[in-house]
Amino acid sequence: MSVPTFSGGDADADLVVVGSGVVGALIADQIIGSGRSVLVLEAGPRLDRAQVVENWRDMSFERRVSSDYQGLYPQSPFATAPLNFPPNDYVHLTGKDGGSFSQGYIRAVGGTTWHWAASCWRHLRVDFRMRSTYGVGRDWPITYDDLEPYYCRAEEAMGVSGPNDPARQSPSNRSRPYASDMIPWAYGDTRFAEVVNPHGYRSVPIPQGRTVQPWNGRPACCGNNNCQPICPIGAMYNAVHTVQAAERKGAVVLAESVVYAIDTDANNRVTAVRWYDRERKSHRATGRAFVIACNALETPRLLLIAANAQNPQGIANRSDQVGRNLMDHSGFHCTFLANEPLWLGRGPAQSSCLVGPRDGEFRSQYSANKMILNNISRVGPATQQALKLGLTGTKLKEEIRRRAIHGVDLSISLEPLPESHNRVTLSESRRDGLGLACPDVHYELNDYVHRGYDAAVQQLQHIGSLFGAIEFNVTTALNANNHMMGSTIMGSDPRDSVVDRDCRAHDHANLWLPGGGPMTSASVVNSTLTMAALGLRTADVVQRMLEHA
Amino acid sequence: MIARSVYCSVIEHLPMAIVCMFAGAAIGAPAQGDTSGDAERGRYLAVAGDCTGCHTRPDGGKPFAGGYAISSPLGAICSTNITPSRIGGIGLYSEAEFVRAVRQGIRRDGAHLYPAMPYTAYTKVSDADMHALYAYFMQAVTPVDLQPPRTSLPFPFNLRVSMAVWNSLFLSNARFTPDPNRSAQWNRGAYLAEALEHCGDCHTPRNLLMAEQTSRTYSGSRVSAWYAPNITSDPVSGIGTWTRDELVQYLKTGALHPKSQAAGGMAEAVTNSLQYLRSEDLDALATYLLSIAPIRDRQQTRTDDSSGGPARYEARLRGKPTTAGSEHPDGAALYSGYCASCHQPTGAGTPDHIYPALFHNTATGSRHAENLIAAILFGVDRKTGDYRAFMPQFGADSYVQTLTDAQVVSVSNYVLQAFGGSSVRIAVGDVATARRGGPTPLLARTPLILLIVVCIIFIATCARFVLRRLRRVQP
Repeated sequence: MSVPTFSGGDADADLVVVGSGVVGALIADQIIGSGRSVLVLEAGPRLDRAQVVENWRDMSFERRVSSDYQGLYPQSPFATAPLNFPPNDYVHLTGKDGGSFSQGYIRAVGGTTWHWAASCWRHLRVDFRMRSTYGVGRDWPITYDDLEPYYCRAEEAMGVSGPNDPARQSPSNRSRPYASDMIPWAYGDTRFAEVVNPHGYRSVPIPQGRTVQPWNGRPACCGNNNCQPICPIGAMYNAVHTVQAAERKGAVVLAESVVYAIDTDANNRVTAVRWYDRERKSHRATGRAFVIACNALETPRLLLIAANAQNPQGIANRSDQVGRNLMDHSGFHCTFLANEPLWLGRGPAQSSCLVGPRDGEFRSQYSANKMILNNISRVGPATQQALKLGLTGTKLKEEIRRRAIHGVDLSISLEPLPESHNRVTLSESRRDGLGLACPDVHYELNDYVHRGYDAAVQQLQHIGSLFGAIEFNVTTALNANNHMMGSTIMGSDPRDSVVDRDCRAHDHANLWLPGGGPMTSASVVNSTLTMAALGLRTADVVQRMLEHA
Repeated sequence: MIARSVYCSVIEHLPMAIVCMFAGAAIGAPAQGDTSGDAERGRYLAVAGDCTGCHTRPDGGKPFAGGYAISSPLGAICSTNITPSRIGGIGLYSEAEFVRAVRQGIRRDGAHLYPAMPYTAYTKVSDADMHALYAYFMQAVTPVDLQPPRTSLPFPFNLRVSMAVWNSLFLSNARFTPDPNRSAQWNRGAYLAEALEHCGDCHTPRNLLMAEQTSRTYSGSRVSAWYAPNITSDPVSGIGTWTRDELVQYLKTGALHPKSQAAGGMAEAVTNSLQYLRSEDLDALATYLLSIAPIRDRQQTRTDDSSGGPARYEARLRGKPTTAGSEHPDGAALYSGYCASCHQPTGAGTPDHIYPALFHNTATGSRHAENLIAAILFGVDRKTGDYRAFMPQFGADSYVQTLTDAQVVSVSNYVLQAFGGSSVRIAVGDVATARRGGPTPLLARTPLILLIVVCIIFIATCARFVLRRLRRVQP
């Protein structure tokens, strides 16, 4: 077993990984499994599930119905993450659509897989060829087929259940079946699909990182319906598990270790990263290969903070593209009361999704969308609404019940295009607990997205009519979906991209930046599985490089 | 049945002599060509004897190909390949050699097996059944040429010849003899319990040399991290208040709610063996077990499943900072955070018993808290038919959260007090012991010289008795 060596607080390992979320964890686990020493530096703390569960149970009604997924997670004073109740302004937002980019992410061992919904979508084949096919956005330098085997491996690593009926897959280009067949639909998903599918909306099962049978020591999902903000029983894939697997093989994971500097040699190879421990003492980790896997906001922030004499614009940033092309699926919600009870809220929080509008010729003109039938219990919002009606006693109870069983909430995602003005920069005034610059984000969406919104609203009005919707409401302010992408964009030309087809920084032969950052198109689906697949593809390249070194 | 868990951690450091083998992926064992009626009978007997439990690697090993390393305080014991391969397995064994191995623990080459192989029970298997077992292994099991690693224990336990001495003391080489004063059903049950299912391997306490104490048969024993309870007919300490139907249901499904749910070695016995027994055999087994002479634990005044009740603690936890993540977590907070989502805040479980109630339950009401600790550290995994009862483990490899010793103590004592109505309290040392796979047997802790002296004295005092006994059973 190969292990990192430590001397006077400094460390040396074959591979140094920054970030212990799903991407960093998968890479660490593979490389340690190949016999190379691995050091993982995680800015945030290790979390105790019971504490998070109990924090959630103690959360106020207002914060619950407002979906506060961040506030219940303990933070390290030296690794701030966004908070919204009240806002901590850690990520300062500007631009006309800045308000739609209020991201939630966790800085802790395991990363944001603590409170994802575990949706494990693949991009479509055409999503990799947006410029060639529709004349918008960019083409990836790799194809769907290049990534397909890694999608399979990522699904297997995370224990994904998905529909093994090709007619219900999106996409159906698969070389292997899902390890576990789809999570069975509850009544609401089934009935909703029955009504909308004859009209082309194509409601399909969401592939997801949980199973209805025990898997690999993980308990079966029993429908606590609480995936976000915390699965109370650990039935949802959490990168902590992959971190532990890597640790058992000899990887060393240091929590509360904030990387702030990156050293480079005359050939601009990375020689070391430097980190602060929880006592603010600085240490240095040397290595042969370096992976920064802090996703599309913290990775560019670190690259910019770590600017050195040789790389004055920031690490990996000769193209000036670090932090640019930032994307998230712009979201909005459609709520109504159906004319029949749908009993949503049984099973996982997200179970079915309308993918009919995921692709089509229209994408040359406006954004695609996907519409998730949110399967989160409607009791909270129903209670809020019923209280506003001034009801009490039995009438209040009946009204809550009526609204809870008839209530529908669709969560719609739109596809942004990579645009260089949407970017992460460093704040000139705000500093975190270590005195490091906080991130600023400037965000202004192209009309491509707004036209996509208009098209989606028309579709929603039609869907509403199929259910005789009353109190039909579509939100007008776009919301974030926590799917950050594009800010270390992938491309074959070092002049307009940050990483190459292997997620390797164009500027540094031994530095990889996998995760959401390299994603060249956003599609409309959750980004995690693509991030994980890119991570595993990176792991293969890193492994080969270390074997030949 | 013995605690030979599919989770390696459970079986680590199992006392050598009780690291037995039972189990039975045999049901799913691939058939090879035509098999005789004998072989078909043998298949059933191999399931009843739970051969698969040790001889098939639980992580996807080929049926009966061995190679499963069972840790013991004396070192790892590696199960052998018992497929009919002439290279890796027992393909060269004649029937007589096979019988000698199974009944007397002597290999074809004359070397002794360790009593991890429960030959002290199998010796009671009838000649006809032994013939059927041989036919099954030779005709119906697919040969696998793989040779598992050899077992090599440290001195003096590497001297397999020492087992000859042990055998002379503790192996009575005699077949099961029916009791003419009992019914055919009772005798069938006795045969299943004593010879094939080898119940005593776990449920009978062991002496200093790790042999079963025949005077205390079935009165309960610590088995690795678990506790195999008293299954005599005593109405307080044993299962004397169970009906035969209840016992059959338990053996068939591993659960009798709310009383008891099988975990650890018993979950394996149910998963691999007991659920596949014919209903008349289960009836017979239950009939026999309920007739076992009662043995009372004098310190016990009530049955393990008669105490406790639901708790109403939830409201007290709300609205103030939780201690769950702190250095000194409150047991109630840990319970709420880790257990209540399934077992419910009241401890009542779910009405369908998928998540069992924690009161009126032997795991929380027993004087022996081992099974509560072990369930937390190693989880529960039991498969009957298409149903899999599964509780995730909270030990070192937990998918949910690895709990520290102090956390396990805190939550266990809360459960014992709040739901079990038990005065038992555990300490950090109990958890550490369970993590190690139970207490180290005296045999493994004793300095070598002392061990030899004890052995000599023991042999001397037993010799006459043993010789007499051997003479009696070998006409």
